Amino acid sequence: MPRISEMTDVDFNGVEQPYVPPKTLNISDNVKLHTNWDREIDPVTYEVIRHNLWQINEEHGATIQRISGSPVAMYALDLNPSILTEDAEFVYFGPYMQYMSGVTDTQVKWTLEFRSENPGISEGDMFIANDPWVGAAHQQDVMLLCPVFWEGELFCWVTNCLHQYDIGGITPGSFCPAAESAYDEGILLPPLKIIENFQVRKDIEAVYLRSSRKPDLVALDFRAQMAGNTTARERILDLIKRYGSGIVKGVMKRVIDNSEKAYLEKMARIPDGYWQDRTYVEACRPGDRRTHRVMLGLRKEGNKLLFTNNDSAPQDGAMNATYSGWRGSIMVAVNELLCWDQYFAPGGALRHIEFDPTPGTFNCAHFPASVSTAPIQSMEISLYPAYNVLSKMIYPDTEMRKDIMCIGGTSQWPATLFRGIDQWGERYGYLLIDPIGGAIGAFTMADGINTGGQSRTPICQLPNIEHTEQNFPILFLYRKELPDSGGAGQYRGGLSAESCFIPHNTDVITQDTLSSGNATPTSSGMMGGYPSTTNAYTFIRNSDIFDNIAASKMPEDTSELRGDPITLQLREENFQQSASDVYAVRWTGGGGFGDPMNRSPADIAQDLENYSITVETARKVYGAVLSDDTTVDVEATTKLRAEIRTARVQRDGRKSKVRNGTVLFEVGSCLNAMSDGGGQYWACSNCSTELGTTAENYKGFCIREDNPVSASNPLIGEPDRFIDDAVTFRQFFCPGCGHLIDNEIAVDTDPVLADISILDGLNPNV
Amino acid sequence: MSSYLCGLDIGGTFTDCVLIDDSGALTIAKAPSTPSNFAEGVMEAVNRAATKIGLALPDLLEAIEVLAHGTTVGTNAVIQRRGAKVGLVTTKGHNDVIHIMRGSRGLSGQDIKLIVHIPESSKPDPIIPKRMIRGVSERVDCFGKVVVKLNEDEARAAIVELRDAGCEALAICLLWSFLDPTHEKRIKELAQELAPELYVTCSSELAPKWGEYERTTAVALNGYIGPTTVGYITKLDEQLTDMGYEPPLQITQCAGGTISVNKATAAPLLTLDSGPVSGVTGSLYLGGLMGFPNVITSDLGGTSFDVGVIHEGRPVVSYRSIVHQYEYFLPKVDVQTLGTGGGSKVWIDKTTRTLRVGPESAGADPGPVCYGRGGTIPTITDADLVLGYLDPKNFAGGTMQLNRDAAVQALQALADELGMGLFELASGVAQIAEFQMADLMRKVTVQKGLDPREFVVFAFGGAGPVHMGVAARELGVQKVIVPQGDTAAVWCAFGAASADILHVNEQVNIMSSPFDLEKVNTLLEQLESRGRKQLMDDQVDPERHQFALSLDMRHRGQINEVEVDLDSGVLSNSDIDRLRARFVERYERLYGRGAALPDARLEIVTYRCRATALSRKPKLVKTTELINEVDPGAQSDNREIYWAESGRKSATRIFDGYKLKPGNSLDGPCVVETATTSMVIHPRQSVNVDAFGNFVIDPNHN
Repeated sequence: MPRISEMTDVDFNGVEQPYVPPKTLNISDNVKLHTNWDREIDPVTYEVIRHNLWQINEEHGATIQRISGSPVAMYALDLNPSILTEDAEFVYFGPYMQYMSGVTDTQVKWTLEFRSENPGISEGDMFIANDPWVGAAHQQDVMLLCPVFWEGELFCWVTNCLHQYDIGGITPGSFCPAAESAYDEGILLPPLKIIENFQVRKDIEAVYLRSSRKPDLVALDFRAQMAGNTTARERILDLIKRYGSGIVKGVMKRVIDNSEKAYLEKMARIPDGYWQDRTYVEACRPGDRRTHRVMLGLRKEGNKLLFTNNDSAPQDGAMNATYSGWRGSIMVAVNELLCWDQYFAPGGALRHIEFDPTPGTFNCAHFPASVSTAPIQSMEISLYPAYNVLSKMIYPDTEMRKDIMCIGGTSQWPATLFRGIDQWGERYGYLLIDPIGGAIGAFTMADGINTGGQSRTPICQLPNIEHTEQNFPILFLYRKELPDSGGAGQYRGGLSAESCFIPHNTDVITQDTLSSGNATPTSSGMMGGYPSTTNAYTFIRNSDIFDNIAASKMPEDTSELRGDPITLQLREENFQQSASDVYAVRWTGGGGFGDPMNRSPADIAQDLENYSITVETARKVYGAVLSDDTTVDVEATTKLRAEIRTARVQRDGRKSKVRNGTVLFEVGSCLNAMSDGGGQYWACSNCSTELGTTAENYKGFCIREDNPVSASNPLIGEPDRFIDDAVTFRQFFCPGCGHLIDNEIAVDTDPVLADISILDGLNPNV
Repeated sequence: MSSYLCGLDIGGTFTDCVLIDDSGALTIAKAPSTPSNFAEGVMEAVNRAATKIGLALPDLLEAIEVLAHGTTVGTNAVIQRRGAKVGLVTTKGHNDVIHIMRGSRGLSGQDIKLIVHIPESSKPDPIIPKRMIRGVSERVDCFGKVVVKLNEDEARAAIVELRDAGCEALAICLLWSFLDPTHEKRIKELAQELAPELYVTCSSELAPKWGEYERTTAVALNGYIGPTTVGYITKLDEQLTDMGYEPPLQITQCAGGTISVNKATAAPLLTLDSGPVSGVTGSLYLGGLMGFPNVITSDLGGTSFDVGVIHEGRPVVSYRSIVHQYEYFLPKVDVQTLGTGGGSKVWIDKTTRTLRVGPESAGADPGPVCYGRGGTIPTITDADLVLGYLDPKNFAGGTMQLNRDAAVQALQALADELGMGLFELASGVAQIAEFQMADLMRKVTVQKGLDPREFVVFAFGGAGPVHMGVAARELGVQKVIVPQGDTAAVWCAFGAASADILHVNEQVNIMSSPFDLEKVNTLLEQLESRGRKQLMDDQVDPERHQFALSLDMRHRGQINEVEVDLDSGVLSNSDIDRLRARFVERYERLYGRGAALPDARLEIVTYRCRATALSRKPKLVKTTELINEVDPGAQSDNREIYWAESGRKSATRIFDGYKLKPGNSLDGPCVVETATTSMVIHPRQSVNVDAFGNFVIDPNHN
């Protein structure tokens, strides 16, 4: 299938195919852009205005939260405000829901191209928009775009995006796991002038609200979005009045130029190459037992980054995202790993980043694919692999290495969609927010953060159990962190958690599941680190929980209960949870970093002390010898680890050779790119054993051991409960010293992945 | 003989004592703080005050009507991580509540950099490790109904195990205990039986609020600082009693008033981080006296900038607090802090070549370059010195010499790097800092629906008056008041002395409209009688009791709550419409016009009663003699100062603040110096001395 760049005869205008902005926007002469700005600005004025612009964007976000007051805005922080230049380059983007960055500039650009002639863009207008082919992530993420005018010229844009409770479609809440196409989902609004000359167009507002099951709340959120934009617009105008339009615009351009400069300096420090990651989506519709391949490629040449999704699965069922959703997902990782020091000014980096996916794949789907579940499935699975490829790209630079993060928790969202009549006699429908508790993956020099949230929403808060129980007819038996849920490694991934509840003060709860990453782990580790637990649903029908309640002996785990265990499929529809049926949902944790057998005995002891790992894992995965449940025998451990490694090398029996050249760069925790008179080659960084030339895949020269996927984490069960494909945990060890270099989890028919390739002849360190 | 109000404040260096006699006259004394046993310094400060008024210590103690005292013992225990070993008993299955921390990294209110750059962030060290937490079988539901009986065998085993593991304080927090505290109370009884030496805290007694994470954190912190605080307060109380002081010792608390020794030992959490609150309490009193109902209080010290807000004569409060990334329930006068102070570092972002100020601070040690204690990175104070705002020979009342050359050198290097002039750079640093301060003051007002232009600013702290003129002009406030006379130097002790006895009692019981008025009235009555009993225990005459009742309400299904005042503790049907109207008005004031949903169902979440005993106030005397003419001797010096307004240095008049008289008025540019601070009056600003002797800066004088 061709990529976008290869489809020269197709119009990417946001109708059948996604909107892909051209290099030069085609804007009507009716709109005059403000294009005069000062190039010379003194550093103090710059800093004062820069700080002000950041504050304006922050106040914009706070205004939306205050007025909306909805759990979506307050807890899940499913919103984001932005400031963009007249031609839709990012100046600032907020610290809330990160993927919304990649879906913002495209919508402004589309509006400039397709609305500037008719109905026109004028002072006092705002446009509402949620069409995923124009640029929204999914239909529920409604944007409000506000042009800011100064003396008749379009000076800049302020925009915001806020997730709505319900905007129609076949499932309450508008996440539609059984949708066959976008026609089954919420209303689609290509950018539409809902506010004209400072007045709300009542007719258009009515159309917008008409399709929602919760029109009052959507109306209130619309007011919150309007107030947010108004606040930001007025404050920017105040700045212009005080400092002049040339200075303020000059600062905006310099914010972008500076972020570009920072980006370019980083690019100059790392080698050119090509990095790949592979993972899988399970079940695209009820009854589906296939795995759907997700590929991400990143090519760096000089300053340019190119992202592709070659060989990803075709669009299907209700698991898809559009071009903008995929791009927005990758932007999350770009922002956090490359642009964090520029505090959410991604505009500069974007000047050098190209996105070239293949239309018709599930994460670049064309109209009218079903995309309402995109943010919790297709986008998550597009987003987290981007951490891996970017991390591997920046690893050679020792400073940037500190910015690396392994994939974190809830890398696929195990949704609990439940509904019925609540304890107050009212109808309810809800998506359990608990998995937002996530986990942060391991870093290159520290462990990840247990239940540290989802890295794609750096600030978020899980509701208290008492909050959830007040609003819904359930009783939590527990919510707990799980030992071993974080991926093992020299640095361990953060632990995730599990929530377990029974119906309470209601007869029955009707539920749907919507998940992936239950058979194959999606929080893979990096450079020898192990994956975290998978997602998991546990359902015990007719349990003996009421015996426990009567005896005042409550369980702390579902394994303590008797009853009929039912395997819930990943898109199970309309199953009933009755009074004694116990339901539990576990989410993925953080991936680990580096060979677990390199973890220090002191850290292992600490893990045992804190219930972060079990005794069995300490022994089996970490190769630790314990003198009691929390004490590691350091000497015996060192000895045991050496024996395990030696035995592995001897078992393999191949002849390996040490090759002493110069290190070109360190590309992994146990892998170097080297060179000598004979050329460039890979080598183990521990013992300098050669692992092929850099034109080849180093993994082909490693000892390979294949194990069941359950060996990668003790909490992972048998994949065949959910999928028909066989899946394997492949491990690659140095044939010289037996150290672990990398792991991969793959469907058996997929080839060994070449995760790291260095482009020949380039070496930034020389 | 007169009776006295006595206020005490323990600082890092000095312990301050303020006495107020029947006529309102003030006596002030200071003694060195004694960190090994703070009570010694306290007794010495009171002793010195006694000497000043010619009384023997026991005679003075007998004549003191109320002795109020702010303590930092708990705060220090948290900062130094030297609290007690705490064990937690909780509902089985929910042991991990304070480890999960609501899935956040506890970063509310922290610098954006930590949030953005995840590898730099982490969860805090746990106050209670997992091995010191025990779950017991029991359960109450959202109706307050017992679903699972308390398993007393498990509870006993938990207590014994924790005791044997070396626990010093036991915290108890069960789900929904604020609706039915029976199980918590029973566990407490068992603890008293099985481990009577443990310091025990129950969440239903300390913070009967909705939300198990913030409630658990509250009991955990209370246990953590409990034994130390109790030891300290009890010792001080005993010493005072021995010396002849009889009434209950009053301790200043976060909610803005004082509590008795008994309550402070049961709930030391109420004193955690209470220091800055006394400044607001003092401002509340002074603002009332001067006729300013709306005040932004600001305190700019070496390492932090604290801001509080008084609106319509009442301090703005919050009911949720944060310490070391842990959020907990606590009624508190809301004081927001920014890590900008005189010691904030000035630096250049190497990549983008832009000038930055803070948030990193050089602290007090090594401090700014000009302190000559080894600091090499220039700070705001260094810029102030270079600009001429500060006198190198007369800093901190002449107790410290500043090295101007070193400051010049450090800042010149940065100026060269950016291709700027030295003074241009230094005044840029001041300006950036001033704008950051204005931003924080804007946030604390605008985000609460208040208009900063309706406020005056009180400026405390050594560095505050240097910068507040410009910050205030940016913010659009009308006046900056620098409290003067002796009170300013001992402001927090003064705040303690002018504080009222206050008991904030809260109860959560979530109820949707239409409201069950009988239940509402019963709950309010219970809170009021609890407050009445507490005041009686404090030996307060019933005539001085005051009760203010309020409800936290919200739209059903939404999160934002607003506090709605009630006129009385008994609601009738005819009050309901008024209650709804008041809710809408408050809601829209806070969250914006049109934000309220007029037809939505309302929900009452929290019931609250503030039981107060107004204390006798100091009577500050206004002078009737206002003098226009400035004594020529008041001008102490002429100094070269760089003014950004003109872009050059000019010889500027320097005044001795102590020689200016009420009624005196000066136009900028000039600098007024006192022992503790410098007031920088920019061109087109002015300052005058009011009838109380305070300095009043007009930031927008033409």
